[in-house]
Amino acid sequence: MPDDILYSIRNLTVEYQTRAGVVKAVDDISLDIRRGEILGLVGESGCGKSTLGKALMRLHTGPARNSGGQLLFDGRDLMKLSEEEMPDIRGAEIGMVFQDPMTSLNPVQRIIDHLTETIHTHEPGTSDAAARTRAEELVEKLGIRHERLDEYPHQMSGGMRQRVMISLALALRAKLVIADEPTTSLDVIVEAKFLDLLKELQKEFGLTILLITHNIGVVAEVADRVAVMYAAKMVEVGDVRDVFANPKHPYTQGLLKSVPNIQLDGSELYKMEGAPPNLLHPPKGCRFNPRCPQVMDICRIQEPAFEAVERDQLALCWLYQNAPASAEVHNG
Amino acid sequence: MTAIQEQPPEISAEAESWEDELQKVGLVRRIFQARRWYGADWWFVMISTLMVVGFVVIALFPNWFAPYAPDALVGPRFLAPNEHPDLPIIIVPKDSPFNTLKDLAVPEGQPRPQVAVVQGVPTGSALNEQAQVIDEQVKNEPGGLRLRPQIDRYASDEEALQAILDGKDEAAVIQSTEWKTISTHFPTLREAQSITGGTANAGGFILGTNDIGQDVLSRLLWGTRIAILIGFSSSIVALLLGVPLGLFAGFVGGAFDRLVSLVMDSLYAFPGLILAIAITAVLGPSIFNVIVAIAVLYIPTYYRIVRGQTLSVKEEVYVEAARSIGARRMEILQKYIFPNVIPSVAIIFSVNIADAILTGAGLSFLGLGLPPTIADWGIDLARGQRFIQTAWWMITFPGLAILLVVLAFSMMGEGLTEIFNPKLRER
Repeated sequence: MPDDILYSIRNLTVEYQTRAGVVKAVDDISLDIRRGEILGLVGESGCGKSTLGKALMRLHTGPARNSGGQLLFDGRDLMKLSEEEMPDIRGAEIGMVFQDPMTSLNPVQRIIDHLTETIHTHEPGTSDAAARTRAEELVEKLGIRHERLDEYPHQMSGGMRQRVMISLALALRAKLVIADEPTTSLDVIVEAKFLDLLKELQKEFGLTILLITHNIGVVAEVADRVAVMYAAKMVEVGDVRDVFANPKHPYTQGLLKSVPNIQLDGSELYKMEGAPPNLLHPPKGCRFNPRCPQVMDICRIQEPAFEAVERDQLALCWLYQNAPASAEVHNG
Repeated sequence: MTAIQEQPPEISAEAESWEDELQKVGLVRRIFQARRWYGADWWFVMISTLMVVGFVVIALFPNWFAPYAPDALVGPRFLAPNEHPDLPIIIVPKDSPFNTLKDLAVPEGQPRPQVAVVQGVPTGSALNEQAQVIDEQVKNEPGGLRLRPQIDRYASDEEALQAILDGKDEAAVIQSTEWKTISTHFPTLREAQSITGGTANAGGFILGTNDIGQDVLSRLLWGTRIAILIGFSSSIVALLLGVPLGLFAGFVGGAFDRLVSLVMDSLYAFPGLILAIAITAVLGPSIFNVIVAIAVLYIPTYYRIVRGQTLSVKEEVYVEAARSIGARRMEILQKYIFPNVIPSVAIIFSVNIADAILTGAGLSFLGLGLPPTIADWGIDLARGQRFIQTAWWMITFPGLAILLVVLAFSMMGEGLTEIFNPKLRER
């Protein structure tokens, strides 16, 4: 594993056991997260991006489970760790910021207790005073006056709570922060401030951030690279500028065309045909084939490989690959 | 790095709704502000709390309040509230130095005092008995006094009293109730003490006496101890078992949850009193067994509420967030789930005590549970039921006591619910 890669996800599959059958919400996904980057993970609702985010910390319980693949984080395979060893990773190495800041803090605990508890959990020897000092320095950096640490979550605004959530991840200098739609429930001004903050933190702490969002504008604004998911599959990964300027996968192309752009003329917005597939019975071959404007015969038969199309830009599409001989025979 | 400076939002006093204010104040201020904020009445909580505190103090120190021991035979049977017992009292002339029976004692050899009594009334024999007792005492004292009154029997009270006026007798002994009706006819006579000492007005009982001459009030006050003891300890036992079970079943889920829920639902499906009767019938009568029986009865109440709350709290994002910062299962249970579940437990606890007291009284009313020697409201009720036509006070006052105690605890529970969860009221 090259040294500049912090988290290498190899063939990860996450299954949900449902009454109707097994649903693969994340299906055989491979992705590299590089040190110090902000990687934007986009996709429509239900495509499995939040499931992937949680799977990276092995947070799933109940019907969902990580059923296969490797999670190589900083040289260790997290899939091989026991359930008892995982809490040492969570918070200390990988932090998470959740979608709804209104509900992601314990309502009966003061803010300071959230922070000191995180510190005590991972560094049991720390004195209360030392933990408090650290917490105060940290939140001051995030723009929260330290006197407010003694308040309860409900006394803070949504933006402040989201910053508190970030500070929980930063309290132990987590290497990777997974931000699962952190700005969805914030208004645009607070959202802009929060995104600025994320960028500053990335620079100051050398933080690596996986930013999960359905808002392609947010990705354009802050991300270094972007990963696009469709129907539990990773369909395209690449540098933000490359992907936005020259999208390879037809889904990404459609996605970008459907974003309103003030600089273009007022012609009608592109509307992608069809609806995302039912993951209980995904289409044979490429999952995008029922909606793809450039669909070929091979797309309906066999799934393409996730391969580099250009340097640093990978796509899951037959348009850039040679169909195998056997498929062509079958096709013919 | 430039920090984002957030100015505290400027909110005028009017704009700040009471819901925000509610979160900031402590319990006491909340109780007093409750009326202004959402119409919940502080006096509701105050009165019930005072009542509860009163009952608890009585339960802890019944001897401070009760005039007699609960099982002491202190007076005549079936004495109505505030009625005075019919005592043989000594009647003497107004100028007589005599006051007690002992004053009639004279040195050996002197003429024995002559005392008038009425025929066919037990005053004569009572006088004789009491005189002998006093005689035994005084004859060994220095001075060698003896008390051997010479008893003259007359046909009626009037004749006996007339004998004093005529100088035939030095004193008369008649029943106090009789004296009350005829005293106006004998203005020159006065009432001394009863033959056993004390005035005739002594010995009344505020709430009367029961069928064997025990003071109803004293039994009532001592009975508080049993009621409060059963109420509190069975509720605490039920809470200590039900809350952890509910927490674990809700948190762990799976087979453990299903098994415990099945047991709890079966318990819950039984009619309460029947189950308690069955348990006490098997275990035998003692306070401890009653507490166990009632506790078993109420474990499902706590279990169901705590399990339900745990199930919903554990799906909250902040629990997942806690896992994402590396909190372990026990920590999550302790710091995230338990504190968010416990307020609902505190409220049912108070109402549960009222319920437990009622069930305890029901058990002993049926003659199950408590040994009959114990002063208990349920036992007194059962006893009073037999004499409901002749002695209404025997059943009325224990019944009222149960009513008041149950009312106090329920009112406190309801009042606290309203204070803690004002939003419940709006629904």
